[in-house]
Amino acid sequence: MSATLTPAPSAAAPGTAPPPPALALMHVEKRFPGVHALKDVTIEIRPGEVVGLVGENGAGKSTLMKILSGVYQPDSGDILLDGKKTRFVSASDAMSQGIGMVFQEQSLLTNLTVGENIYLGNEKQFTRFGIVDWRALYAAASRQLAKVQIDADPRMRADDLGFAARQMVELAKALTLEENAPGHLVILLDEPTSVLERAEIEILFARVRALRARASFIFVSHRLDEVLELSDRIYVMKDGAVVADLVASEADITQLHHLMVGRSLQAEYYREPLQRPYRDEVVLELDSLRHDSAYRDISFKLHAGEILGIAGVIGSGREELTRTLAGFAPHDGGRLLARGREVKLRTPAEAVDIGVGYVPRERRVEGLVLFLPVAANITLADLGSLTRAGLINTREERRLAESWVERLKVRTPGINTLCLNLSGGNQQKVVLAKWLNAEARILILDHPTRGLDVGAKEEVYELIRAVTAEGVAVILTSDTLEETIGLSHTVLVMRDGAITHRVDASPGQKPRQVDLIGYMV
Amino acid sequence: MNTLLDTFRNDGMRQWLPLATLILLVILVGAFQPAFLDVNTLLQLASDTAVLFILATGVTFVIMLGGIDLSIQSMASLSSVVVALTLARFGYGAFVFAFALGALAGLLSGIAHVRLRIPSFIATLAMGGVLSSAALVTSRERSITLGESERAYLGWITGTVFGIPNVVIIALIVLVVAHILQSRTPFGRYSAAIGAGEPAAYASGVKVDRQKIFAFVLSASCAALAGIVLVGRLASGSPTLASELLLPSIAAVVVGGTSITGGVGSIWRTLVGALIISVVRIGMTFLGVNIFAQNIVFGVVLVAAVAITIDRSKIPIVK
Repeated sequence: MSATLTPAPSAAAPGTAPPPPALALMHVEKRFPGVHALKDVTIEIRPGEVVGLVGENGAGKSTLMKILSGVYQPDSGDILLDGKKTRFVSASDAMSQGIGMVFQEQSLLTNLTVGENIYLGNEKQFTRFGIVDWRALYAAASRQLAKVQIDADPRMRADDLGFAARQMVELAKALTLEENAPGHLVILLDEPTSVLERAEIEILFARVRALRARASFIFVSHRLDEVLELSDRIYVMKDGAVVADLVASEADITQLHHLMVGRSLQAEYYREPLQRPYRDEVVLELDSLRHDSAYRDISFKLHAGEILGIAGVIGSGREELTRTLAGFAPHDGGRLLARGREVKLRTPAEAVDIGVGYVPRERRVEGLVLFLPVAANITLADLGSLTRAGLINTREERRLAESWVERLKVRTPGINTLCLNLSGGNQQKVVLAKWLNAEARILILDHPTRGLDVGAKEEVYELIRAVTAEGVAVILTSDTLEETIGLSHTVLVMRDGAITHRVDASPGQKPRQVDLIGYMV
Repeated sequence: MNTLLDTFRNDGMRQWLPLATLILLVILVGAFQPAFLDVNTLLQLASDTAVLFILATGVTFVIMLGGIDLSIQSMASLSSVVVALTLARFGYGAFVFAFALGALAGLLSGIAHVRLRIPSFIATLAMGGVLSSAALVTSRERSITLGESERAYLGWITGTVFGIPNVVIIALIVLVVAHILQSRTPFGRYSAAIGAGEPAAYASGVKVDRQKIFAFVLSASCAALAGIVLVGRLASGSPTLASELLLPSIAAVVVGGTSITGGVGSIWRTLVGALIISVVRIGMTFLGVNIFAQNIVFGVVLVAAVAITIDRSKIPIVK
């Protein structure tokens, strides 16, 4: 029963001797409170190379990208640029040394023109006595746009461009660095294709290939097929470490996937032996529920003790559906019944009233008040029951908080510690404790393990199993299909705002990921 | 310079900084002017602080939520005018009337802020303009001195109990009520939660709008009470009676250590802050600083206090 893992090879370059890597990380370590984010990471990018970087959420990709772009500094280890040791003390420092960035959340300011965007912060070269020579700036911007072969007027406003064209403008902006940077240009592409159509992706890839004479690329994406298509070499990360360094032409999706997930004890990982059949009692019923801009004709019944996973890509409508059930985005049509009574959830407070508890993906923003103590966060959703004659019974509050901390094994110095100082996993336990304390009967888990390391994830899974065994119903959306399948009793697949597939996921009959993907895209 | 500021920002020490400042100031002024430490002088100091403290207490509730109330001085002035005009007719009812007017003004500010989604500084700046104009119009731009018969209704403000001025007792009652509101009621807890992390409070089912409106009602009610107390002390009402008190009130809240960005603070801190402002004021009088120059000092003190107490790393953008 041991995991079939290829041991992590050291990232020594096979054979190619003379030119030093354009960029290399040597034995980089990075820790955050409660998380060992990067463990002895060594990677290198050769001149003109496109290097793919894959891994599950929480594998350390974003931390790595932030170190490469100067946002974070490594705790130890070295950064080598053209073979010479260097440091990136800030994002602008990294840029001035030739590290360009194209981010998934597009960084163009939509109220400025394309040209203004390209040279934002670097207008000095066009400035005389404090006055910008716009003609020169736009001429230079046109030259940059020509590099990525996009036919856009630099005087257009960025919001008049489509997503694909904006992505090209971002690329053109990154390429301006080559005029000032001393050595090789390395451009980080962080999920650049997530908002693009297939045809647009083709164009982007063609441009990237054409630009290899000018720069090296690091390509981060969840879409493994795209990584295989574009990259020369692929690094696979898992739990903060590089576990494989593959030549793309010799790799395939299954292999990558195995390396990323890297566990054969799937059933045990998701605590499937603890998955009990759900009860007959219906706690929530959706009948042709509709939201004008996001989803339509959504019908299902949620039973006590059931975990209902919703799978779907961005734009499938599943995010908006969970927001509706949490009280953030009321539905426009159809019926929503809580224990048989029709309701419309206009605010989260109304959702809480019918027994809904929302565990949001933005844990540190919507999940917890970071600057309040653990105890105050646990009781926040149910202060009313602690209040006698208008006053909070603080002794009872302390007792409750202590008992939840103990039952959920929250690792905290005490109940008066600010949630800010807890690790991600323990913060998530506090969020769950808040809803258990409020006796929520329906938990909406919106990417509940995002950013948690493996150990913390397992604890959260165990907790989810425990509460469903007591009859709490769960609606789950997750970063990975694997987690959705592993945890759920029932999986719904959504595409373009509608349910395309519904499948039973009892232990022993779990659907395969590949079978569901067909319904998602 | 930076390291010195960093030391002050260290949480454990920062918490006690206002109190240490107050004690230091008292010792300093006492050393130069031993009469300052006399019981009667100290009681006088307490009486002088009362109005400032009541105003500052009200606005503390709003600042805790991350908002601001810029209408308190106008509300206090209007309240003084209303009491002075109606005392002869309504008797003690005049105080109730002025107080209710305060609650109403706060309700309107709160609704404008919450329902119309207007930033609180704009909503209360506008409300302040409305209130101070109302005060000017109703008083016909004059101060209204109370007659002998009307002064009879002011005993509960001007009198003393066992040598302690009633004004001080009123301020102490405000202190106790406000402290309980803030530290023991759901409203107080929700305020702290909203100030420190409004999205999380909202997602937890807290009725954010309701808490905010209530905070504005409290702020304007306290301002109205401050105006009432001022009438008692001066035996007159005037449309500009409290117009110099906005800056010292907000300075008192912030100097006491309540975060201007919300979430962190307490009524005790506001008490310490109000006392610091009062001692500084008296110290300046001893030093012969022109009374009209005092807001120069309070302006500087306000900026300095925010600069020392604010944690810039948590505030990437200032608007």
